[in-house]
Amino acid sequence: METGKLLKAVADSVLNMDEEGAAKYSKEALDAGIDPMTIINEGLIVGMNQAGKLFEENQYFVPELLLCSDAMYAGLNVVTPHIKKEENLYLGSVVIGVVEGDTHDIGKNLVKVMLQASGFRVYDLGRDVPAKAFVDKVREVGADLLCLSTLMTSTMDEMKKVIDLLEKENIRERVKVLVGGGPISSSFARSIGADGYGENATGAVRVAKKLLGIMQAKSL
Amino acid sequence: MTNSEKTRLINVLEGKPVDRVPVICPGGMMNMAVREVMTATGRTWPRAHLDPKDMAMLSLGVKHLGGIENVGVPFCMTVEAEALGAGVFIGTESTEPRVVEYPLKRVKEWENLPSITEDHYRVSIVLEAIRILKEKCPETPVIGNITGPISLATSLIEPMDFYRALRRKPDIALRFLDFVTDNLIFFARAMLKAGADIINIADPSGTGEILGPWAFSKVAVPYINKITDAVEASSGYAMVHICGRLGSVLGELGKLKSPVISIDALTGLRKVKESLPEKVIMGNVSTFLLEKGTPEKVAIAAATSIKQGAGILAPACGISPRTPLKNIRAMVRAAKGERD
Repeated sequence: METGKLLKAVADSVLNMDEEGAAKYSKEALDAGIDPMTIINEGLIVGMNQAGKLFEENQYFVPELLLCSDAMYAGLNVVTPHIKKEENLYLGSVVIGVVEGDTHDIGKNLVKVMLQASGFRVYDLGRDVPAKAFVDKVREVGADLLCLSTLMTSTMDEMKKVIDLLEKENIRERVKVLVGGGPISSSFARSIGADGYGENATGAVRVAKKLLGIMQAKSL
Repeated sequence: MTNSEKTRLINVLEGKPVDRVPVICPGGMMNMAVREVMTATGRTWPRAHLDPKDMAMLSLGVKHLGGIENVGVPFCMTVEAEALGAGVFIGTESTEPRVVEYPLKRVKEWENLPSITEDHYRVSIVLEAIRILKEKCPETPVIGNITGPISLATSLIEPMDFYRALRRKPDIALRFLDFVTDNLIFFARAMLKAGADIINIADPSGTGEILGPWAFSKVAVPYINKITDAVEASSGYAMVHICGRLGSVLGELGKLKSPVISIDALTGLRKVKESLPEKVIMGNVSTFLLEKGTPEKVAIAAATSIKQGAGILAPACGISPRTPLKNIRAMVRAAKGERD
């Protein structure tokens, strides 16, 4: 197969939730001498972005998006060992997690998937994460962005706690803070001093790029 | 003539006329336990999750001090999960209990799980609390709250793995859901036997927003309906709370057999009522407003919900423990048609 067709087969496999296909065509693309970064950017990520678009249009939902991301990772597992300089891979680094007191992490996981698919290096702290753990991780990895999620009204105030702690430890200026989740709104985000609000997984990626001054086209 | 609290709510559930809209906080995920009442009654979290008397008196305290027209237990969504083998952290004075350890690594291992029994300590505490409430306030509706099937399933295994299995191995995932649902029916019946009048089913992890319309109607609705049928066969009433935006599944909601559908603030109540004229729509006063707003604003929001067709006035979702009582009272006054 020629390059364009192979890359499209990789992208289509991701879009069609086909793990085996994504791995198979990624391998074929490597064998055909296509640059690993091209396979990622013009194959796997294109497919994932198309899946994200369908998600936004209410044609794909959580299970579908999840299987698309599984397929993307099946391809990445084949391709990434062949990349020479890893640092070129990422647009920026992100620490993400669900705030303390809340264990609902579906939304957070979707944002994580879409951030990874868009080229961010993501450090996932999981759910029910104490404020201090967020701050420590941001400092440790020198994160560009901190994403906080909660589904419950009762744990919204934890977000402010994290931001206050960033201030107290003098690293608030170094990192942008993006918040999201069921009860969160952009006015709430402003009221606690966050930099942005992500309405859904794809919206979060858009805001993340905007906050970090990354042009949309760079991910393609 | 004015109805008793219980008659009024039951009449609404049966589609009979009432003097005015009832106002409730069902319990469970949508519980009513707020700090002010914990302080006033001395019945505090986390102890109130573990002591039947504390649990009952805290629920009753919100009724007395806040004016809501029901009592309901428990105050979380972890009772069934713990009885089925999940590890639970019981929370703090201001955070709810939560599952911290899943008993399943793979869906197909579900056959190794224990079943819910009436003498499991968490289950027996809830049942005893219901008996106490039934005795203390026979004219107030007692609501037993259960976790919806998908939310319970995703409390027993990593949710992402469950959603994957729904697509990849639907037959195994559905058998697991059968097991989960049978256990929920057992718990619901035990609650009715203990004196609950109504069973409220909340399934925040099984919404149309997460599953999409196809999976919602094929996976969430049939299992919720199975519970509704069992509750009605045991002479109880069922209510169903659906979280999130309803847009994609508005057409599917009519397939729910429960006479009451409780909705979030994210969807306009009028729109839902218009597409489901035969259902009682419950809701949907913003929980954010209840916590952070003024009583005046809460009153306006409550009046709007009623005007848009709410058959039962209630918060849109679980309220924060920091919600001030004066705001709960403002919501209650709106239902009663009282001015400040």
